[in-house]
Amino acid sequence: MIYEKERRYIIPFFDVPAERAEMPEITVSERKGNFTEVETGFTEDTAVTEAKRCLSCRRCLGCALCWAECKPEAIDFSIPDQILDLEFDEVVTTAGQDNTFEKLPRELGYGSFANVITDLQFERMLSPTGPTDGVIVSPLDGEIPGRIAIIQGNPGGGDDHLLSSLILGVNESILALHRNPELEIILVSPLCREFHDKFMPQTETLKGLKIIDSAVSGVESRDAAGTLAIKTRQEDRTAEEAVDMAVILTKPKAVAEPKY
Amino acid sequence: MRIMCTGRLDPAITARAFKKGLDGLLIIGCYFGDCHYISGNYQAKAKLDVARRLYEYVGMNPERLAFRQCSSGEASVFVKIVTEFTEKIKELGPLGAGGDRLESPLLIKKLETAEAVLAGEKIRWVIGKRAPFLKTGNMYGEVFTEHEFRRAADMIIVEETEVQEILAGLRDGARSVKDLAASFSMPVEKVFRHILALKRKGFVVPERIVGRSPLYTLAPKEV
Amino acid sequence: MESKKILIIGGGLEGVNAALDRAQAGAKVTILEKFPTLGAERIPRDRLITPEDAFVNPDLEKVRSNSSIDILTYSEIKRLRKDNGRVKAKILKRSIRVDNSKCTDCKACIRVCPVNMFDDFNEGFGFRTAVDYCNPTTGEYNIFKEDMPVCQRTCPVNLDIRSYVGLIADGKYLESLAVIRDRLPLPGSIGRVCPHPCETACNRQYLDKPISICFLKRFVSDVELSKGIEPAYETPERKFPEKVGIVGAGPAGLACAYDLARLGYKDIEIFETLPVPGGYLWVGIPEYRLPKKLLQREVDLICSMGVNIHYNTRIGKDISFDDLKKNFDALFVGAGCHRGLKLAVPGEDEYMGKGVIDCVTFLREQALGRLPKAKGKLIVIGGGNAAIDSARVGWRMGFDEVYILYRRTKKEMPANPWEIDAAEHEGVKLQYLAAPVEITGDGKKATGMKCIKMELGEPDASGRRRPVPKEGSEYVIEAETIVPAISQGTDLSLLPRDHTFKISRHGTFEIDPYTGETSIPGVFAGGDVVSGPDIAIRAIAGGKKGALGIHEYLRSR
Repeated sequence: MIYEKERRYIIPFFDVPAERAEMPEITVSERKGNFTEVETGFTEDTAVTEAKRCLSCRRCLGCALCWAECKPEAIDFSIPDQILDLEFDEVVTTAGQDNTFEKLPRELGYGSFANVITDLQFERMLSPTGPTDGVIVSPLDGEIPGRIAIIQGNPGGGDDHLLSSLILGVNESILALHRNPELEIILVSPLCREFHDKFMPQTETLKGLKIIDSAVSGVESRDAAGTLAIKTRQEDRTAEEAVDMAVILTKPKAVAEPKY
Repeated sequence: MRIMCTGRLDPAITARAFKKGLDGLLIIGCYFGDCHYISGNYQAKAKLDVARRLYEYVGMNPERLAFRQCSSGEASVFVKIVTEFTEKIKELGPLGAGGDRLESPLLIKKLETAEAVLAGEKIRWVIGKRAPFLKTGNMYGEVFTEHEFRRAADMIIVEETEVQEILAGLRDGARSVKDLAASFSMPVEKVFRHILALKRKGFVVPERIVGRSPLYTLAPKEV
Repeated sequence: MESKKILIIGGGLEGVNAALDRAQAGAKVTILEKFPTLGAERIPRDRLITPEDAFVNPDLEKVRSNSSIDILTYSEIKRLRKDNGRVKAKILKRSIRVDNSKCTDCKACIRVCPVNMFDDFNEGFGFRTAVDYCNPTTGEYNIFKEDMPVCQRTCPVNLDIRSYVGLIADGKYLESLAVIRDRLPLPGSIGRVCPHPCETACNRQYLDKPISICFLKRFVSDVELSKGIEPAYETPERKFPEKVGIVGAGPAGLACAYDLARLGYKDIEIFETLPVPGGYLWVGIPEYRLPKKLLQREVDLICSMGVNIHYNTRIGKDISFDDLKKNFDALFVGAGCHRGLKLAVPGEDEYMGKGVIDCVTFLREQALGRLPKAKGKLIVIGGGNAAIDSARVGWRMGFDEVYILYRRTKKEMPANPWEIDAAEHEGVKLQYLAAPVEITGDGKKATGMKCIKMELGEPDASGRRRPVPKEGSEYVIEAETIVPAISQGTDLSLLPRDHTFKISRHGTFEIDPYTGETSIPGVFAGGDVVSGPDIAIRAIAGGKKGALGIHEYLRSR
């Protein structure tokens, strides 16, 4: 569902963290040889304290402040939802604007480090009408990175996925280097044959982009400034690259056919 | 100080009073049900409850702001309330000198932010909605529990405090996200998100880039 | 000839282009997107770009001005049905609550909106407010209002968790219980046994740990009990004359009966094979997790609404399915999964009933007090909740030693982790990476089991690492009682031999996902008999769906 992606935004208040109430139980020796209920239930105090931990999530409070502020009176809470009954000869399913992607390996640091972002986020960042007006900045500190890595999130995602994600990675690099010619980009991903044959020659002419044909084994944060170490392993050798920001190439989730 | 009704009390004034160095503020109103203006004292209580939550959040002891009730004929009750309150304030000592979570110069700065928050329309509007939210529901007819209303107010307190701090930090000229975050010990990522949101809302505009730092400043109409 | 009507689901770049293509070819196109705006600019993924043509923009102006294209944004499919080669769709088009023809894009609303939330359009950079434009290039303002919070949406019966937890925080326990009962007829039982998917979804986990939603439900039902309050389960004044028959008094059947009674049906008869109500809640969940007295009370409350339960009545034996169908205007089948599946190892059939007893029978006979006294050792094979329950029951019955054999490791075990911990805590011995090879015996009864050690190999289709036997590592555990608890299946002996129901290859009923109706009109099904072995709350959801389906079916007749 929209507006409910994983790293959603929740307001922490004074009572965070607060311990979750544990269910009291009878002892193991009291259980032997009988079927007395093991869990004895919350006391009133425990229950109320636990209930008060609830964040009461609600989007749109329905307070109508926007309606009160709207001079042209465009906001109208009385416009109702509609239920439509329609008939069709054919149904075509395409990817909507959900942009959900296959789960990423935890080792890549997405969700752990603020300066590890997805290719979809990078795409928004590069857009002139995007949240940063096309300026590339690291969400970790709001500074312009000097060196970034674009890394493959699903090395086992199949050749089709490798091809389209590599092209996207190179395209994003082209755009990023155009915006900021001083930027250095490394693109770390196993290559597929088609990419190698068709697109590699042109890619190699790009100044500032280096391609490393390898899977990434891990991303770690190295210092207080948040510098990332991109670790790769080829045969038995491990190598590391230090960057200010990492962009993960994601694999879009397959579109689910509707249920009849 | 006399006012017509406790319901007329602007909560932002309480912040200004503390900012000027007041150590305690006691507001005495009529009993519930006795209000000449029907619900003035209920409104007062709702406003002051939220103000107390805010003071707790910014680091002042909320006990410094109290709401008590007595009628004009009850001299002894009045004396008792006032004596108890002055005792309490004596116990807490002067503002920002041990009785509060924050110490004085920092606390006064935080109280300035608190005043801006309480003067803002978001919090005022939502406090005013308390009674309908709990009884008849919001615009969609959804009734809130008291707990949920408190959570909603908390959410606005936290976010508005952060936003007002950032806006105050930009008042003296353009600054970078990193610089802003360092000056009021907020996580940089959070300042970054707020800056982007403020930019989207038209409060803040990017000014120039110095070295690797994009600098942001208040939009012309906000200065 | 009338032009072809096409529904395009998804209003991203691909959907917009498809809509334009199809409209060009002469079709009438409806494009449906759940986001409040259509398509966004994208960087191509099939060719290399130059910085100047970096973004591809969907041609929204062309879509908007094309009279052959209907745009449904902020919409969702509620129901799809194939009918005579055509597709009938019920679509919810949510109101965006802003008249964009009047909007002047002054941003006054977004400057005051107190709610900051995840900005999907910008992949989480910054915030959007509850009222906002999503796409800066189109500037369509909308008010986003979620239908329900994430806990409620995750709950199979959509319990209003935010309200009932909030009411507990306010100290209003009975009001809270009333909110729960509005959607759930068995709060005390579910509050004890539910594996609470809501808590797994709870937003609080991103701060510390989720709210203990399930036990709070139990708390309010306990408050009512301890205060000795007998609630009144009310039914509406207006009654409907039709008779509804329900097969199985388990969670699905009871929930269906409860909802039908609340809709105003007064003739509801439940047929139950067992001498007790509750289905798996009674004969599968052990007493120490859910006291029978409590379950009985909640069932009695449902019966107080005029629901009649016929015990010891097996459909297909005591009454034929066809008779049942003749006697009732609509039927709901909630027969559950009460057949334990076999290990399929040598010796199993030979010693079945002579030391080997499947977990469904084991738990049922224990719950009904019909098991002989425990003696010797007990081996349970499997890693699900039924395996853990069997082992913990066995331990209480007084077996000398209780083993659980599982072919993977604790990490892969499907049982709830807290149940596994409790079993270990009580002294049940868990043997991981072990699989049964053969049940041994002395010709009269089982005496033990030959097992083989396993190791984890490559991940299989489910993403779990596949266990592979280690050659030559066989060993024997001696035991008098062996309980296979690998899975459960449906028992469709209630149906006549020549029935025409559509049955899946798992032996479950195939139903309309929106109404619960089977392939035979007027017969509905829900619970484990549709889903295979699953949790109680989903069975209840199945029962509720069936009740609504039956209501719709009977009212449109």
